[in-house]
Amino acid sequence: MISTKELSRRGFLNMGAAAGAGLVLSQTGLIRPAHAAAPLAPVKAEEALIAFGHTGPTSDEGWTWAHDQGMKAVEAAFPGIKTTYVESIPYSADATRIFRQFVSQGANMVFATSNYGDFLYDVAKRAPKVGFYECDGRNPLDNLGTYYVQHWYPTYVAGIAAGAMSPTGKLGYVASFPVPSVYSGTNAFLMGARTVNPNATLQCISINSWFDPQAATQAGTALLDNGCDVLFGIMDEAGYLQVAQDRGKKAVMWNTDLRRYGPDAYISSIVVNFNDFYVKQVGRRLEGSWTPTYELLPMGGGVDRDAWGATVPAEVAAKADAVRTKMMTEGYSPFVGEIKDAKGNIKVAKGQTMTEQELYHWNWSIEGVSGLDG
Amino acid sequence: MSTWRLQRLPAASPLVSLSARLISVVLALVTAGIILAATGKNPLDLGAQVISSTFGSSFGMADLALLFTPLLYTGLAVAVGLRIGVWNIGAEGQFNLGAFAAAGVALFLPGPPALILPLMAVMGMAAGALWILIPTLARAYADVSELITTLLMNFVAALLVTYVATGPWLDPSGMALATTARLPVEVPAVWDIVHWGLPVGLILAVLLAVAFGFTRWGYEVRIGGSNPGNARYAGMPVRRHLITVMLVSGAIAGLGGMMEVAGTVHRLQGGISNNFGYIGIMVAVLARAAPLGVIFTALLMAVILNGGIILQPQGLTTQTVLAVTGLILFYAAIGDEFARYRLIRNAKPAGTR
Amino acid sequence: MQSRLGLKPGTPPLVALRGVAKYFPGVIANEDVNLAIYPGEIHALLGENGAGKSTLMNILTGIYQADAGEIVVDGETMAFASPVEAIAAGIGMVHQHFKLVQAFTVAENVHLGWSQTPARISARDLEARTLKLSQDLGLAVTPGARVSDLSTGEQQRVEILRVLSRDARVLILDEPTAVLTPAEAQELFVALRAFTARGNAVIFISHKLDEVMEIANRVTILRGGRKVATEWTENCSEKGLAQMMVGREIVLNTLRGRPEGAGIGAPVLELRDVSLNAGDLSLLKNINLTLHAGEVLGIAGVAGNGQRELSHLLTGMSTPSEGAVLLEGQDVSRSGARAMAQAGVGHIPEDRLHAGMAPALPITDNAVLREYDRAPLAKGPWYLPRQAFHLAREIAKIAEVAVPDFAMPARNLSGGNQQRLVARREMRIADKVLIAAYPSRGLDVGAINTMMRYFVELRDSGVAVVLISEELEELMNLADRIAVMFHGEIMGILPAEGVDIDEIGLMMGGRRAA
Repeated sequence: MISTKELSRRGFLNMGAAAGAGLVLSQTGLIRPAHAAAPLAPVKAEEALIAFGHTGPTSDEGWTWAHDQGMKAVEAAFPGIKTTYVESIPYSADATRIFRQFVSQGANMVFATSNYGDFLYDVAKRAPKVGFYECDGRNPLDNLGTYYVQHWYPTYVAGIAAGAMSPTGKLGYVASFPVPSVYSGTNAFLMGARTVNPNATLQCISINSWFDPQAATQAGTALLDNGCDVLFGIMDEAGYLQVAQDRGKKAVMWNTDLRRYGPDAYISSIVVNFNDFYVKQVGRRLEGSWTPTYELLPMGGGVDRDAWGATVPAEVAAKADAVRTKMMTEGYSPFVGEIKDAKGNIKVAKGQTMTEQELYHWNWSIEGVSGLDG
Repeated sequence: MSTWRLQRLPAASPLVSLSARLISVVLALVTAGIILAATGKNPLDLGAQVISSTFGSSFGMADLALLFTPLLYTGLAVAVGLRIGVWNIGAEGQFNLGAFAAAGVALFLPGPPALILPLMAVMGMAAGALWILIPTLARAYADVSELITTLLMNFVAALLVTYVATGPWLDPSGMALATTARLPVEVPAVWDIVHWGLPVGLILAVLLAVAFGFTRWGYEVRIGGSNPGNARYAGMPVRRHLITVMLVSGAIAGLGGMMEVAGTVHRLQGGISNNFGYIGIMVAVLARAAPLGVIFTALLMAVILNGGIILQPQGLTTQTVLAVTGLILFYAAIGDEFARYRLIRNAKPAGTR
Repeated sequence: MQSRLGLKPGTPPLVALRGVAKYFPGVIANEDVNLAIYPGEIHALLGENGAGKSTLMNILTGIYQADAGEIVVDGETMAFASPVEAIAAGIGMVHQHFKLVQAFTVAENVHLGWSQTPARISARDLEARTLKLSQDLGLAVTPGARVSDLSTGEQQRVEILRVLSRDARVLILDEPTAVLTPAEAQELFVALRAFTARGNAVIFISHKLDEVMEIANRVTILRGGRKVATEWTENCSEKGLAQMMVGREIVLNTLRGRPEGAGIGAPVLELRDVSLNAGDLSLLKNINLTLHAGEVLGIAGVAGNGQRELSHLLTGMSTPSEGAVLLEGQDVSRSGARAMAQAGVGHIPEDRLHAGMAPALPITDNAVLREYDRAPLAKGPWYLPRQAFHLAREIAKIAEVAVPDFAMPARNLSGGNQQRLVARREMRIADKVLIAAYPSRGLDVGAINTMMRYFVELRDSGVAVVLISEELEELMNLADRIAVMFHGEIMGILPAEGVDIDEIGLMMGGRRAA
């Protein structure tokens, strides 16, 4: 009776040795396959069918909504193109059935907007004439690509603002599962905050779901009751923002601009935008040049911090934005050793910069983060 | 002047009940069609698409078979229990446990598939039987209703599977996919992606039908299930049969879980039971607990569930599909009741003669 | 006719049925039944099982609706859609199986589901109201007592009070004395006479002829769903009524006469100092009993004095706490019911529907219960449905039960047919002993006679028959010896020939045989 949905979304990722072996990760986040696959044959826009498989409802105002916007961008860019989508696909054998159904319907390209692992892989293997993409995926095929965002950079930037706006230095985080998306989020957020508040800590509560407004609200309340004064999290909706607004505290969100739910509490959001990526890949598919790509969309090219909230002081915004500009213009990375894990072990040696792959697969908490490990 | 009225019969004739069943399915579909039409969709188009997608392609047939297989096992599990008057609401949990045990064997015991697969099946059945053991003993020795106990065990099983899949057995090669690693062995395919779980399930249904209909044991179970007092009077070991039947019921559900994890999903994950245990109750009830009937009702449920998946790209939600399955059960219950009536015409009241 | 009941000429009947018919598939339950019930009379409704008495009364009380005909109450044609409407029209029924809530008090039961019960009332007021009703209606009850603590007779009184308190003018009683002791029955009759003396009427369903003769003013006999006659009881004899009821002459006399060569033989089944305890409760005490081939041993006693336990011990369904059960010299105390059956001990249980049959299962399954595990029905672990069908057909044939469909649930058979089927099934395996517990309970005269004929047949072939019964007449006609049970003990065993019925009565009340 445990819902499969809660295990479903984007966060699942495997750093399989097999997967890593064939890949080269470039500094821009682009991963290329070891051998070049032959491009799929061109299709006329009017005859093409593009399918999207979502983990949540498109009305979530968050992750799935953002991907749905991408589908609409594709429709606008290629008049006459046909699209189809299924919402709330469970992370179970039913996912396989739905992806197979897309193929049966004649889809030329299928985007899974979350990590469906084997359930997508098995279908892609049997449908070589269809182009597949898996968000946050890992197993490549000649017709299966992966894409995700480098959300840790804007998260670090937002963390600077959060640290500056937290009188107590106690940050709270509403987590889904202990998965890399969450680790990289908590760690980057706290590292940003510590640049202005060296004693800052971050407390996590996992609610075992990606979309459960009630549980998220309860977790937010519990964190505030524990003395936290800035909340962050990885929820698909605005539950804990409203809690922060009601209690006069602050919050940083994910996915989209949610300031209308808590105008005073709103600091910023890690907003995503897949429109350009989708339009580009569908275009390549139509013209007959598509081979799978393995991409981590950079800050400014698919992920960014949202415009600062009304209550963020100008000097705080300026301080955070200075780091953001440095990242975007100079390729600055704050993820440099020495970094210790929550148990005090040195995980990144002094002076060593974490690679994008390490950031993508981050699976341990840094010192100061509690509630995720064990 | 004459009036029509319903008259209750002492028993429904088999032909009438069968037609009532068919009519109830048709009525449920018609009702669903009307609802769809009201939301601006063309139910005939959707129906045609379900049929062509299900039966018109090998993809569709394979998908159907993969949905049919677990329902066959859970339906049989519940039906077996019903033969001795037991409502095994816990097929869901036993299915989970079977998958859990089978995955454990596959993950941690190296060996040739020819050895490991049968061991997985045995362990899956043992785990399913183990999961119904406490409800069985409680029912057999303390007359505690199995309805509640088997149901409660489901929650424990679901939590256990989720815990091991996201915790201790989490894919060791990676870190985040909330499942175990892919099992190193799998149930071989018979056709396309359809694995041996299907023919084994069909054989099991036939074996059970033979056991219930053509063995002394089956006769005793029938008597014991219908009237335990009568069985005791005849000196039949009612309690022993009750225990055996319940454990067999659990074992069948466990075997279903083993086939699902080793044949279809290939990894243990939370929610692997996918409500198959609960839908199995519906399958068994529609089949009137007849093992061969389960083959047909499980297939019917598979067509409906698969139809739901086919229709999702058309904007139909899983909830709608579940509503249709609920409608079928609802109409079937009404149909069963009506099969016990016949329509008669009253003559003019005699008193006015 | 009205004048004979002490009524003014032209007094209309309280209730009349005219041309009533009710059909079930393949069965005429009632057809063309006319019946008029006048104020002040007790009207008996007499008929065999399946004669249509219950159906007719169910129509009158709104449980069934007639397929033809009409019900006239106080000159007005009525159609009752439910028992509630019938009771509103003054027609109430007390069923054989009481519909009381055991955990409630008498007062609560009387007031349950009654529109005149105040919405809020204290237990004390409720009991006061009940006491008043009880006094007004001449039915003594204890308002504060819990129903589960009452005797059957007292419970029946509560049921009657419940019906009468709703201003019923016609009270229907379905075999009311079946559950009563003779003394309780007499009390009931007094109350009924008082009720009718106030201008009300009673319809009294029974198949006990003596009772009908005693209590009823008039009697209507039903047979095969149709009315045979309505007569003044003064003009009837028991024998005449019985003939009308079954449509043939019956014999009520000793069946002890044996054909040449048949006689009482060696001991077969023996109980030696047998006791049975359930926890601290002593159910049977020091029973010593020897049963001989070819004899009929009657067990008399008021129901509930250990007869059931005794029958379970004799058939292996329970194990004695002390002492031994010997079958032809072998200790079979712990053999179990199946082994006993296989050894030739048949058992007609007192409760057909809960023990003797699986009513929801096909007739075939029920007919072969004793022989499914032996050839030709069984072959190794296999059970052969075809052979089972053949055997079921054979048993139905000798039991003279017409079965249209052997796949039909056994509950669709009438009570008499079920009993005949069970009896024949048990007789087939009863090579040595047959234990028959209350075999005639709920059966009509014709069916009882058939049953007795079966026992004679068995006895004459050398089988020992134990006949447990409450009908002394039955025991005296058939048994060679009569053992009387009281509080789990045997008070004494008397030869049935020329036994003094008063002595048996005293033993049933706890006095030991001289």
